[in-house]
Amino acid sequence: MKLAPQSIPYRALQKVSGVVVVLFFVVNNNPAWGVAAATGVGAVVLLVAIGYEVAYYQRFDYELTDDTLDISSGVVSRREREIPYRRIQNVDVSRGVIQRAIGVAAVDLETAGGSSTEGSIRFVTPDEATRLQREVQRRKSSNRGRSGSERESEPGAAAGADGEAGGQSGHRGDFGPDEAGPDEEELFAISPSELALVGALSFDGRLIGLLAFLSSGSVPVLSSFVPDASAVALTATAIVGVGALFLVSWVLGAAVAFSNYYGFRLSRAGDELRYERGLFRRYSGSIPTEKVQALRITDNPAKRALGYASLSIETAGYAPGQGGEQGSQAAVPLATTDRVFRLAREVESFGDPQFNRPPKRIRWRYAFRYAILIGVLVGVAFGVNWVFDAGAPWYAPVALLLVVPPAAHYKWKHRGYWLGENHLLTRNGFWSRTVTVVPYYRIQNVIDTRTVFQRRWDVATIVADTAGSSSIAGNDAAAVDFATDEAVDLRETLRERLRVAVADHRAARDPFEWFEGDADAADEDADGASESGESATTGSTPPKPPDDGVIRPNFSVSDRDYSEPAELVDTGDYAVDDGATETEESDDGATETEESDDGATETEESDDGATDDETTGGEAPTDDATAENDEPRSGSTGSET
Amino acid sequence: MTAQALHPRVQIVWALRAVLIAAVVTVPFAGGAYLGRLPTWAPAVVGAVVLVLGVAHAVARYRRWSYEIREDALYLDRGVITQVRTTVPLVRIQHVDSRRGPVERGVGLASCVVYTAGSRGADVRIPGLTPSGASDLREELKRLAIRADGEDAV
Repeated sequence: MKLAPQSIPYRALQKVSGVVVVLFFVVNNNPAWGVAAATGVGAVVLLVAIGYEVAYYQRFDYELTDDTLDISSGVVSRREREIPYRRIQNVDVSRGVIQRAIGVAAVDLETAGGSSTEGSIRFVTPDEATRLQREVQRRKSSNRGRSGSERESEPGAAAGADGEAGGQSGHRGDFGPDEAGPDEEELFAISPSELALVGALSFDGRLIGLLAFLSSGSVPVLSSFVPDASAVALTATAIVGVGALFLVSWVLGAAVAFSNYYGFRLSRAGDELRYERGLFRRYSGSIPTEKVQALRITDNPAKRALGYASLSIETAGYAPGQGGEQGSQAAVPLATTDRVFRLAREVESFGDPQFNRPPKRIRWRYAFRYAILIGVLVGVAFGVNWVFDAGAPWYAPVALLLVVPPAAHYKWKHRGYWLGENHLLTRNGFWSRTVTVVPYYRIQNVIDTRTVFQRRWDVATIVADTAGSSSIAGNDAAAVDFATDEAVDLRETLRERLRVAVADHRAARDPFEWFEGDADAADEDADGASESGESATTGSTPPKPPDDGVIRPNFSVSDRDYSEPAELVDTGDYAVDDGATETEESDDGATETEESDDGATETEESDDGATDDETTGGEAPTDDATAENDEPRSGSTGSET
Repeated sequence: MTAQALHPRVQIVWALRAVLIAAVVTVPFAGGAYLGRLPTWAPAVVGAVVLVLGVAHAVARYRRWSYEIREDALYLDRGVITQVRTTVPLVRIQHVDSRRGPVERGVGLASCVVYTAGSRGADVRIPGLTPSGASDLREELKRLAIRADGEDAV
């Protein structure tokens, strides 16, 4: 399918707008010939741009096939891209003010791979954008229905699976955006008062950081200009300046938050979440619930006092930094704490969390840490005071020591983890508190760290790493400062629960899983063999085909120490890559499946014999061949190809 | 599989790195001494201290490092100052590299890098393997990851 034709002039003007700014300066600086030249250059650039965009429009083509979305694009270098529906994480539609005026919308499809948006369709009509969104969801669920159980391979199966996935599904084909896909059920819509609160509570600290950074550079410069001003006047100016700074960043933060979350709406349609938001630029998008990596519930003292919290839903779709200012796109900006937890349970049904806290003694650690921080602050203040000879009370930060005990207490109080039935919940942060919900199934790896100081306190930190996007900013689900024994238990529990969760998912995916039991049996066989210490004998008896006649590869964990070179087997001039890649060969040869890493096998021995017979009296070439075999690396790469 | 140590020669790689760090740290002190701001023994002492610490760290790091493949996960235990124990479930392995840097080639070693879709522990590196050991470990992890069959990791 093609893009919307309006996108040609729009895209062309978008490209040209940069040139126009440059030309504007040219005109301003050279009134004599500037206008004529600018008009000429502008016209040429515009023509080129339009020509390019026409070509782009003609080249760009997307198509919804049975299981992939195919996009072919590119004028100079052409690209064909196929995105399997199953791999699509989010589908986002955004429309700026001008785009809304001329009736186009940008569609972005995210997958977990890659560093940028994988499928970017600029621009289609809004109806088509919605249709794409819905259609991708519909085809994804029917696709899954089909691939999940191969028994239902007849055409009617898709309809059955579709109906079962999406409640009442309009399976009458591509009639319109509203007819395809299940009904929407609204989960959350922001009320005007909540929106006002979002604005009031949004405080963009980054502006302060930026301005403070800029002004810190200018302080010495300024102070040289006002040498006579008294310290009091300087301090007063500084206070007013800082106050103004806070006010400005607060207003800016409020405005940004207001325009971002204006008209926020979160709804659920079948197995998908949909959101809509934005005042000037409208965003809407869909997130499959099965792709949710983590939920994050945050609050800060102001929100806590008012009984509010925010929720963000993480998928692996957004590349680092790409989510931009809002991080996760589908974040409920503000709702009462109860409601946030209810919403979160809609998405991931974790129970009622009872957090385990770290040992109380750890509060001392935080107290020491904060005290050291204050010490550093005093030192810096003293240094500054000494250098500038300002006579200011450099010991003032000592007063902050009063805050240390409550801060340490709250830091301890807000830490915690809870093991739910299917989810790990962690809680952290003394000022802005974050509860992270990670389904066990989404854990990628478990990291246990102990710094020198933590070892002194006999505590450890356990991080459950997920593929979520904002974890890069250090917001992982972490159980911090738990007693070492408890931490080790937690680590092992998480590993075990992940294993169970994966097994459950697999069972749900294919109810007729017969492989598991047999694979275990095969493992036991192999274990038994290696326990007897004669793994060579495993190979010497050709493995009997199992009763069902299916040969399976040997997946047992070997005892091999990889920091030592592998033992070499003299195979004559028959090149056998022992150990490494045998599973690749195991498909075609029944006798090779049970090869163990360090043992020669029947096959190899018989080959040996055969080659010896063939090269009787020619010992030298055999040795050469063996010497070549001494480089297992080359051998393994050879067999890989 | 019991916990495996690394190949002892990996200490050479890390010690060489310590030498490099010591050199970099020493340069400003050497400059200071050259300009007469610092006593002439300062760069030598600084360099020696950094080098000794670096080499000691390399040795301690070698002693701490161990890895183990158990039936459902790869375990790594490492870190001298901050001890890190990573559990990589085999189901979650996305792909495995074996690689050899120039220094590693110089001492005849290789390393194996295991990738997951995680964000923090997205890649874990097992250094100090023999070249054949690294490719065998890669193959074994591949084999086990295929068996573990973690179809939709994300």
